[in-house]
Formats: sequence, C-alpha cells, structure tokens
Amino acid sequence: MENTPECTADKQPVAASANNSAVPAKNAGHRPGELPGNKPSPTEQNLRPILEIKDITKEFEAFTAVNKVNLTLYEGEIFALLGSSGCGKSTLLRMLAGFETPTSGSILLDGEELIGVPPYKRPVNMMFQSYALFPYMTVKQNIAFGLKQEHLPKSQIEERVEKMLHLVHMEDYVDRKPFQLSGGQRQRVALARSLAKEPRVLLLDEPMGALDKKLREQMRLELVDIINSVGVTCLMVTHDQEEAMTMADRIAIMDRGQFVQIGGPREIYENPNCRFCAEFIGSVNLFDCTLISSNATQSLLRADDFTHLIELQHDIDLADGMPLTIALRPEKIYISHEKPEEETNWCHGVVENIAYLGDISIYYVRLKDGRIVTSTLPNVDRFKQGLPTWDDQVYLSWDAESCIALTI
Amino acid sequence: MRKNKSLIARIVILACALTFLYLPILMLIIYSFNESKMVTVWTKASLHWYYELFSDSQIGHAVLISLTVAFMTACASVVIGTLAAFVLVRVRSFTGESLFVLLITAPMVLPEVITGLALLMLFVSLGEIIPWFADRGIFAIWIAHVTFCSAYTTVVIRSRFRELDISIEEAAMDLGAGPIKVFFAVILPAIMPAEVAAFLLSFTMSMDDLVITSFIAGPDSTTLPMLIFSSVRRGLSPEINALATIIVLIVSIFTFFAWLSMVKKQKRMASDAAKAAKAAKLEQQRSTFHSKI
Amino acid sequence: MSTGFSANMSFIRRAFQAKRRPTKLSKPHNRTWRDYALILVPYLWMILFFLLPFLIIFKISLSVSEIAIPPYSPLVTFEEGAMQIILHLENYTSIFTDEDGTYFRSYVKSLQVAGLSTLFCLIIGYPIAWALATCKPTARNVLFMLVIMPSWTSFVVRIYSWMTIMKRDGLINDILMGIGIIDSPIQMLQTDFAVYVGITYCYLPYMVLPLFSALMKVDYSLIEASYDLGCRPVKTFFNSLIPQTKSGIIAGSMLVFIPALGEYVIPELLGGKGSILIGRILWQEFFNNRDWPLASAVAIIMLIILVIPIVWFYKIERKEQEKLYAQK
Repeated sequence: MENTPECTADKQPVAASANNSAVPAKNAGHRPGELPGNKPSPTEQNLRPILEIKDITKEFEAFTAVNKVNLTLYEGEIFALLGSSGCGKSTLLRMLAGFETPTSGSILLDGEELIGVPPYKRPVNMMFQSYALFPYMTVKQNIAFGLKQEHLPKSQIEERVEKMLHLVHMEDYVDRKPFQLSGGQRQRVALARSLAKEPRVLLLDEPMGALDKKLREQMRLELVDIINSVGVTCLMVTHDQEEAMTMADRIAIMDRGQFVQIGGPREIYENPNCRFCAEFIGSVNLFDCTLISSNATQSLLRADDFTHLIELQHDIDLADGMPLTIALRPEKIYISHEKPEEETNWCHGVVENIAYLGDISIYYVRLKDGRIVTSTLPNVDRFKQGLPTWDDQVYLSWDAESCIALTI
Repeated sequence: MRKNKSLIARIVILACALTFLYLPILMLIIYSFNESKMVTVWTKASLHWYYELFSDSQIGHAVLISLTVAFMTACASVVIGTLAAFVLVRVRSFTGESLFVLLITAPMVLPEVITGLALLMLFVSLGEIIPWFADRGIFAIWIAHVTFCSAYTTVVIRSRFRELDISIEEAAMDLGAGPIKVFFAVILPAIMPAEVAAFLLSFTMSMDDLVITSFIAGPDSTTLPMLIFSSVRRGLSPEINALATIIVLIVSIFTFFAWLSMVKKQKRMASDAAKAAKAAKLEQQRSTFHSKI
Repeated sequence: MSTGFSANMSFIRRAFQAKRRPTKLSKPHNRTWRDYALILVPYLWMILFFLLPFLIIFKISLSVSEIAIPPYSPLVTFEEGAMQIILHLENYTSIFTDEDGTYFRSYVKSLQVAGLSTLFCLIIGYPIAWALATCKPTARNVLFMLVIMPSWTSFVVRIYSWMTIMKRDGLINDILMGIGIIDSPIQMLQTDFAVYVGITYCYLPYMVLPLFSALMKVDYSLIEASYDLGCRPVKTFFNSLIPQTKSGIIAGSMLVFIPALGEYVIPELLGGKGSILIGRILWQEFFNNRDWPLASAVAIIMLIILVIPIVWFYKIERKEQEKLYAQK
C-alpha cells in the first residue's frame, strides 16, 4: 500500500447509501484485526451505510472542537474514535446523542436528519463513561427505564429485560442497586440498559474508562462478543489505542477536531499516513531524510543520522531532493554484532541502555551523531542467543518493506 | 506522646465548649420544673408552669400563626431554592448571574434590622397601590420569610446539585425521558435529602425569626418569638422556661433523628461497598477460571 | 435571628463529603428558553422582595418625617401641573452633625462590639473546630450535631437563658461567691460584658462551621513536614495551619461580623442604657419616634459601612464555588 500524500480524512463514496439491496452484516464472532492483511473496506463488503455525518462542525466560544468532519458508519460495524483528550471525539459523540448542537453540518441516520431531534427522541443510545446508572433503582429497574418511556405493555418489558439480563449474564443480580455491584457488573448493566431499546446505533463513551487495568483487558472481548451477538452498529470513543485495536473494525484517529486517518487496526499501525499517526499508535523511530532517486521499483533516501542510504522497494511520488520522514517500528529493527552484508538499510551504534520489560527488552542504541534509536527484542531470543549487552558496538538493520515514508 | 497530649487537649476543649453551649440551656430546663415564681431560687419540683403554659391561649394563638407561616415558608423557599440551585449549577453564567448570586447571598448576612425595615417600606409602598399589601398579615410575613429563607435553601440544595453526576440526567434523557420526566424520575430522588434538609432549615428559621417579623407583622399577627420577646422584656418568667424546655425537646428529637439517619446512611454505604467487593471477587474468580480453559 | 447557621450547610456538606466521588461537570449545556423560564421565578422574587425594598428605603431616606399616612413627605409632588422633586438630605446631615453625637458614637460602638465579638468567636471557635475536625469520624458526627444543635433552638430563648444565669442571684454569681472569689454579687446584666457574652454565645456556631470545613480540608502532611523541618508547634500553627484555613477564617468572621453589626435583640435584652448600638437606634427611631426617613437613612449608612465586608464575603463564596467547579 502506498502512503497517502496528505493527512486527510477518509473519502469513501457515500453513493452506496442509496443501495437498498444490503448484504447481511459480517459474521458474528469475527474478531477485528484477525484477518491477514488489510480487510476489504466496508464498501467492498457491500455493507449498507447506516449513519452519515456530513461536514459537521462544533464551535465553542473560543475554539473549534470539531471541524468539518465527515464519516459514514456501516451496518453492524464497530467503529472507534481514537484520540487524546480534548481532540473533539467526545464532542462528536455527544452531538450524535443530542447533548450538543452542532454549529453546522448534518447527521443522517437511515437517511433522516437527526439535528434538531432532542436526545430523548433519537433512536440511538449511549453507554456513559461513568455508566450513569440510576443509583436509586435496581438492576432490573435500570434496564427497564428506557422501555417504560416507550409505554410498552408490562409483559413485553419483562420479557425484554429478561433477555437483556441473560445477554449480559446478570440474572443473579436483578434486585441489586448499582452501588452493590462490581465495576465489571456495572458496565454490563449499563450496556444492557442501552441495548434494551434496540438502538440503531450504540454509542460507547470510553467504555473501559471506569475499570481497573486488569479487568479492562478481559472486558474488551466480552463486550465485543455481546455487541456482535446483537449485531448492533457501534460507535465508540476511546483514548486507549489497545482498546480501539482489539474492539473496533475500523478506527478513526482524531486530532484537534479533525480525522487524521481512518482504517482498520492493522492498516493504521502498519501504514500510518503521517507523523502524527505513526507516533500516536505504538512507538516509532522517525528519521528525517532526503529523496535521492526514485523509480517504479526502488527509491533511495539519505537520512541525516545514518552513514548508509535507506532503500525502499517502491516508488515515491516526489521530486528528487525533497525532504521526507521515515518511520521505523522498534520491533522491526534487528540488532546484531555482525556487520550486515547489504549496502543499504543499516546503521551502527553503541548500546546505551536496555530496559527489561519481562516479555521483551528495549534497546536504546546511540548512533554516532548522538541520536538514540530504540529496538525491541523478545526475551526468548535475547537470552538464547547471547545478544548485545550494555556498551556493545552493534549494527541495526531492517527490511526495506519495514520502512514507512511519510511526507508530513 | 504527642498524640496522647493532643487527645487530652481535644477532650478538654470539647468539654469546655459543650459546657459553655449547654449550661445556660440546662439551667433553663431545670428551673422550668421549679414551683417558685423566682426563676433562680429553687423551692419544689412541679409541673405548674407547664400547666400555665398550656392554658395560655395567647401562646396557643402565636404558636398556630408561627407554625402556619413556617410551613408555608418552608414549602415556598424549597421550591425557589431548587429552581435557583438548578439554574446556578446547570445553566451557569447567564446574563445577570453575578447580580443574582449577590441577591441570593446577601440575605444570609445582612443585619435583620435593615432587611426588616426595607421589606416593611416595600409593603407600605405597595400598599398604596394594592391595598392588600398594607394589611400586613400572615402573607406579608410569609413573603418576608421566603425571601431570606430562599437564600439558605439555595445554598443547601446547590451543594447537593453540584455533586450530581450530570451524565445520569443525560442517560435518562438518552433513554427517552423528556425534561420533566428526568426531573421527577432522576433528579428529585437524588436531591431529596437536601430538599428535606432545606425544608427543615427554613422551617426552623421561619419559626425563630424575630426582628424581620416584628417590622412586618401587623397587630393581629403576633408570632411566637415576638410573644416570647415581649414577655422576656417585661422580666423573667418561669413560663418561658417551660416553653424553652419544650422547644429544646422538640429540636433534640429532630437532631437525634437526623443523626440516626446519618449513621444509617453510613452503614448502608459500608454494606453496599462490601457487597460490591464480594461481587468483584467472584468475578475475578470467574475470569481466572475462564483463562484456565 | 438565626442568620448564618447554614450559610454554611454548604460548608458542612463539603466537609462531610471529604471523599466524595469526583463529579463530572461538563460545559454548561445549551441554554434554552426553558432555562430562562426557570430562572425567572427566583430572580423576579429576589428583585421584587429584596432589591426593590432597598431602593425604596433609599428613596424614603431622602424625604422628611410628616404626620401623615405614610409618615413621610413625598419625593415627587405635582403643583399646578408642574412636577417637583424635593430631595431632603437633612436625615444624613443630622446623623453626622447631631449635637451630642449619639448616632456617630453608636456606629463606632457597633463596630467595636461587632469587631471584638468576632475576635472572641474566632479565639473560642478555632480550637473547637480543630478538635472536631481531628477526632474520630464516628465521634465527630455526634459532637458536630451537639455543637450546632443550640442554634436550632429559639434565639430569644438562648439569650433568656443567659439572663437567668447572669442575674445578681444567678448561677455565675452563686458559683463565684461560693468559691470565694468575690464577696458580693457583680452586676453583669445591663453591661457591655453581657452583650459580648451574648453575641459570642449566639454567633459561635457560625464561626465554627466554616472553620471546621476548612480544617477538614487541611493537608496534615504539611504540618508534619513543618514539624519535621524543626518548627515548634506555635510556629507551625502560624506557618501552616493559619494560611491553609484562611478562607474559613474570613468566611466565619464575616458571618459573625456583618449580622452582629446590626444586632438589636442582644443589646436590648442583655445590654444596659450604655449599650446603644446602631440596631437599637434604628429600632427606636422607627418604632418609638416613628421617624421613618431617619430610620431609613440610618439603615442606608449601615449598608454603606457593610458594603466592603459583604462584597468580601461574596467574593470568598464565589471563589469557593469556582474552586468546586474547577476540580472535575
């Protein structure tokens, strides 16, 4: 995949929304990130768009929280908005729920305008970060609350509540109050409450935000299982990249009110389209380079920090002599005592420090010009092979396809 | 060593403070059971002054007026306080907010002679236009009391409001409840303790107010504090001791129940937390069980 | 009067909920007509029944007393079709140029009495608040209730109780004579001493409450640090405890000082002929002399004196509120 020359939001054709011959949603039980390579995009899968956000902008007095954002959500997918705090992701979510009114733009749900519809009339439901369970009501009353607002017959409410309780495995805690539940249980009740009304789109605001670290990892997959078994379309907001990558089918990285990149978990990790994304997801070594030559099969670059050239096996659509940035993930850099045979794609340095993290070790290697490069190594290999240790002279090398060329 | 010293210091300080606060009241109570007309010379235990008190129709009338005014005041100022608190916490920074905050803070500290005089002048002036105000009966007193009690109810309810998690209201709305439904189904149960506290507070303050009421009240509406004041001004009277004893008794009963509910709430919170912890433990076992498979 | 008692319910709550869950306060929500409708009721009430009255007494203070109904001269008259506005400043000038200086002296005396009583409340209240704040939570609840409870009983009754024990043959004289400190009973009632005692007694809870809540929030590790760095207890107190409880001290002092300045009931019942405080003057001008304009002028001047402390109190309150909003 080549790099997008610009930091832009996704530009998927919206035309597909007119297509009513929708293909059923993807298989339940599918796990994001499981597919080898890049998944087909939702349009290729022929999914039906359910929610369309067009040019939406929200300005608060002094600043613009969300700036001309476009997004299409497809039937049955889990979509994550990922960004650091204050990037506008929560504002976007709250606009969908109806708690904030956009300054301009439109939100179409199944082709109908949502703006102007009060939150209590929108067919979307939200699971709040603090879960916002009603403290004076039991688990059952909490789940039934939304159904009661629809004035459904009692028997029907009972039935639906039973179903929800079963879905989230809370049958044994029906009459407990929220304060008498553990964090994970509260989360499941909150989920059941927002699913009870069978929303067209489920909104999750930092779903794991209120849980402790250990519980988080377990609940991620459990939550995905529940959501997939219902088949609801889901839009979540998170600042935790691991969470987004384990749970979501597609991720949008947001910064200062705009989407920087949209793609599957694998795509945004392997092929970030700009420095911001590369640095935001995982850790990365970035090198400033100059393009020396480029043709259909090979591009050569000179990095300011290296004595040797960098070679890429594809074309870069830039004039020779132009500056660009090369991103290299630490786990894709090999570390060795022996000098590589190739002419390109390696450098030389001294091991400055090693951080032992249990499963892996991180090597901090100082190059001749003082620059520190990090490289990670699974500890299985490290101790088996007797690899470099402190103050060793080492060679760092990498495969040509590991390099990601970034223009911005 | 230092810890011990500070414990002794605390005990001494609190013992002195409680003596200072309660000794005069205790003396009042003791002498209310004295038969003699002299408030300070003990002769013989009797309930004579209680009998006198209950057969005093003037006091009965004053108590009735005071209770009526206090009840109406408490109801109205809780409503006004709730509205004001809601607006101050949820709407915030609206036009004229600082003036509003000033207007709602000032009655708490302003000397009562000023407030009383000002309100009376208002009623007199309004009376020239609407004769009803010139009457200065129970309703005029009620208006005056609501005005200064609202300041207190606002403070009490506002502090509870601020602790409310706004996302609970949003959740209710998200689940299909309109604004009015949200208020009655979600907000009101949550602020109920504050509403009760505010009600009791304004009830006591209205019951107890002397200076403002003296300015406002016309000749036919003498409240209990006014009656006590005029009788105390005339000299000491064992009947007042008896009345004071009853007031102290009622207040103590209420205080006791307030304390009881506080203790109960703490116990309930502790038991809830214990249940939650147990649930969390069970869940952890379940998760380790899962991971073993 | 029970001014102030729960000025500080907010303080109590804050204090009791030391480990309150953090509240999520989002930005103020979108304002709608509904919000404005809600604010209208309390706003109009306060403007009509609190702000307007002050404008009216200001107006009346600019007229002169007359034997009429109402007993003051109209500000605006219509004579032969022309509108006449007559502003009388006599009330104000008479207050300041009064021959025997009664008014002026009573203002000074009021300031003195209110100031000293505030100081007494602070000196007595601080240790009490400290003792309450540092004792065990279960005991604290009970003791706290006990300290506040007297303020829930009748104000007049509490002053009456002091009248009985400060009498010539009252408890205090009995005890003092019993121990043998004095031979003959001291005159306590009808003196300034009684007024100080009365004000201190009645206003003590309003001092203790804000101090208590401030002391509950004190970071005691700073005090340990001060000890650790070699400061003696007295120095630690002034270095560490006082600065940390400053807002409580100011709020408590204002809650005592401002209402005490206009106190009427206590000097009337406990004070002698010498304790002519401004509250009494106002009352007499109004009820005994029926000079409404003069009483209004007295009130307006008192209000002007109080503007600074009231604004100070108001600012402290706002700051506290802002602080609460800030901690998300």
